[in-house]
Amino acid sequence: MLGEEKLNQIAEKALSFSKAEQTEVVLSVSGNALTRFANNQIHQNVAWKNLGISARVIIDKKTHLRKGSGGQVGVASTNAFDTESLKDVMARATELASLQEPDPGFVSLPKPQKIEKVSDDIYHATEEEMSDGAHTVIKKAMKENLIASGAYANDVSELAVANSLGVWAYHAGSSCNLSAIVLGIDSSGFAADVARNPDEVDAELVAETAVQKTLESKNPQDIEPGGYEVILEPQAVSEMMAFFQWYGPNARIYHEGASPLSDQMGKQVFGKNITIIDDPFHESVFPMPFDFEGQPKKAMTFIKNGVLENIAYDSYHALKYHHKNTGHALPAPNTMGPIPLHMYIAAGDKTRDEMIKNVKRGLLVTRLWYVRVLNPKMLNVTGMTRDATFLIENGKIIRPVKNLRFNQSIPEALNNVVGIENKLTPLASFEGEMISLAPTLHISKWEFSSATLF
Amino acid sequence: MFTRIGYNKNTNSDIMLKKAENILSKIPSADYADVRVVDQSSEDIATKDGVVEALESSQSLGYNIRILKDGVWGFTASFDLSEQGVDETIKKALAIVKASTKHKTSNVQLDELEPIVDSYKTPIQEDPFNVPMEEKIKILLAADKAQKVSDKIAVTQASYQANRERKYFVSSIGSKIDQDIVWTGAGTDTTAVDGPELQNRSYPNSFRGQNQTRGFELVRELELEKHAPKYAKQAVELLTADTCPTGEFDLILDSNQLALQIHESCGHAVELDRVLGYEASYAGTSFLTTEKLFNFQYGSNIVNLTADATIPGGLGTFGYDDEGVPAQRTYLVKEGTFQDYITSRDTVSKLHELNPKYNKKSNGTVRASSWSRLPMIRMTNINLEPGGEVGTGKAWSLDEMIADTKYGIFMSTNRSWSIDDRRYNFQFGTEIAWEIKNGKLGRMLKNPTYQGITPQFWQSCDAICGRPEWTVWGTPNCGKGQPGQVMYTGHGASPARFKKVKVGVVKW
Repeated sequence: MLGEEKLNQIAEKALSFSKAEQTEVVLSVSGNALTRFANNQIHQNVAWKNLGISARVIIDKKTHLRKGSGGQVGVASTNAFDTESLKDVMARATELASLQEPDPGFVSLPKPQKIEKVSDDIYHATEEEMSDGAHTVIKKAMKENLIASGAYANDVSELAVANSLGVWAYHAGSSCNLSAIVLGIDSSGFAADVARNPDEVDAELVAETAVQKTLESKNPQDIEPGGYEVILEPQAVSEMMAFFQWYGPNARIYHEGASPLSDQMGKQVFGKNITIIDDPFHESVFPMPFDFEGQPKKAMTFIKNGVLENIAYDSYHALKYHHKNTGHALPAPNTMGPIPLHMYIAAGDKTRDEMIKNVKRGLLVTRLWYVRVLNPKMLNVTGMTRDATFLIENGKIIRPVKNLRFNQSIPEALNNVVGIENKLTPLASFEGEMISLAPTLHISKWEFSSATLF
Repeated sequence: MFTRIGYNKNTNSDIMLKKAENILSKIPSADYADVRVVDQSSEDIATKDGVVEALESSQSLGYNIRILKDGVWGFTASFDLSEQGVDETIKKALAIVKASTKHKTSNVQLDELEPIVDSYKTPIQEDPFNVPMEEKIKILLAADKAQKVSDKIAVTQASYQANRERKYFVSSIGSKIDQDIVWTGAGTDTTAVDGPELQNRSYPNSFRGQNQTRGFELVRELELEKHAPKYAKQAVELLTADTCPTGEFDLILDSNQLALQIHESCGHAVELDRVLGYEASYAGTSFLTTEKLFNFQYGSNIVNLTADATIPGGLGTFGYDDEGVPAQRTYLVKEGTFQDYITSRDTVSKLHELNPKYNKKSNGTVRASSWSRLPMIRMTNINLEPGGEVGTGKAWSLDEMIADTKYGIFMSTNRSWSIDDRRYNFQFGTEIAWEIKNGKLGRMLKNPTYQGITPQFWQSCDAICGRPEWTVWGTPNCGKGQPGQVMYTGHGASPARFKKVKVGVVKW
């Protein structure tokens, strides 16, 4: 890691090589390691480090910017910080900008804003810690004659943003993520834990949960597809909500009319028990005090008691649509729009066991797999269940069942939530970059359309 | 601060190979080691509603070392090519080896490989990086504008991308290979909206068009501006089209949809690392277990599937894989019977133990998405061979196939895809479909979907079009592995017919 002072010097140096009207640089430094295991032994054990600079240059050769009708924008990147490379990346970005037609939607890079300081502590997991974490899962699986697979990832990174209008933002962070899928002859079980510090990763609990799920889901039985009540465990809720992150409160898609939330501001869009928050400072997530334009993030509520209150903006869409920037920019050039990265459904008042007891006939789903959008406007998705699915009857888990395919509208599901767990579980993506929180949900109807063979 | 030794177009192969050899020479005694120095560059242009909203040039240079010692692998990668940086990278790799050894239960074995000293360069007519940027922008803006055929058009988009990978590979068995791989792609995507209704049409394929290991000649041949209006009009027509009916019907898939069907239900299913459980922690396993080799009826007897990294222009075409194994053509399924996997040097050794009938060497499919990623088994070009060329069956034309269908649905261009973690249950949606009645193409249908179980589906294949309608489509967004890798793969296909498929499985 290079530290704030060094990165600030590099950013200043890079900016000094630009003669453009406005210039922005995003600097990144990363050190990553991942220990992967399968068939009860480590089979891939890797570490890599990299750095990067991305320069966004805005020129006004055609004088549209000064008239408020668009700048010419070019972006270039490289993975070196030496003088020659900094000059080269700036020259390439400038050349690209000079070939551009003015973008009428581009008004200006953002100006400096006060950024809340959060901890920059980072934690490196050693090769031994990661290997031992993997071995904890392997040992427990072998004891039950099961096969362990999984990955222990440690990601350490620095991010800095500077622009010629005076923006400077720096943050360092790290994460440790142990995930496991344990396989039996005809069953599997998933578990994971994520923390900032390797000491806080509970490998024993991951091992115990994954092994237990595998044992409990042995000998799964066929079940007819159709509409069922479901208990979605936190991993499944997170996998369902990933696409809502992209197609829901995203200013670009919202204003294009392609989001299920388009034209619904202030209206009841989900059940009254649904509140959806984006909180980059939540104690259980990995804090991120600013976005990729160096603009401050803050906790905000998108959906309150089912009513749409806010959506996510970056500087481009805020200026284009005359709205306040909410600090949700992604790295430029961004053709996807502003996307919230710390979004979750607020906790409710039920325990997981209470929700199971309330199910007359339904399915307990550990996680979803290969979820894809059929139509973004309606946000109906398809996907499979995976790694332990169970039939619940009259409030009791009866037996494991084979996996099913679902075709389900997410807005409909969020209108049919009848129970929300009273706690949130921190979750990592498989690579550990996007951290989210989720409660277990009880949904009164979920459409399963076909079965698979296991 | 950090030592840089040159970028892409200025890269000197001899210097880079020497650098790789220098790194290799520093690695202490091991069972096997290899080094890859990789210099990647790319340019991307994306237009939206007549504005160039992304104009980007990216470069990345780095290297990795892979050490096999005491029966386990260690892999490290870094951007830092200085002497000190290299020493640290090697030291870290050895520490990783030590940590892996602690809990090992068996030794990694590699199959035999003769050393190779060679160069490979993608044959291209026009280097995309030498075409003036102004010209590329002009082509895309014209294609973007050409989509505005109606006031129902909500979003117009056009995209272009070009990539160059210079790879310098040396290994402890004496191989020394440099490759210069170029691939290019372009396409258009129109969105039409009317109230709650939203429809898309893309040309020539969805998800960034067509992509091939070719130069800018591909972009010129696509004639985006000329073709874009036809597809934009279809997007508008789809807004008021009838919904695809539900039932079990004969289904004809256009070659661009069949490409993704092959990718998901064959390509991933034959990855030997997945079959052996090495991908269980992420993407899952495969139903094509090793006892099925040489005897499992994967498809009907007209189904012939190959992995072929030698097809001119295929997005999965190269000279050598990232273990230094030459590019090859392999039958995966021949006349319907499952014949082979796509393999690597270590997994093929494992297969020799599990199935003594299998005596082949690695068929050369190992690639990494960048210098920072571990090489692993990836699809090359996985193809459904044209009808009438191997075994029984004839080379149909699409017109003949439609004329031969009493009632059916013809679907084109992927819109959604999903498959279970053993590659059995799949569901696809396409952008557009047409009803076939009494041998004639009839009304346009919106929101088409179909679902099936892989072997049942391929066993229902009763007609495949011939080579004149065979296209090698590029799939540049194939995800696999932890840490994640996005790889470029290819799929040759011509339209084919499948009997009694569940169609219209979702209504909206």
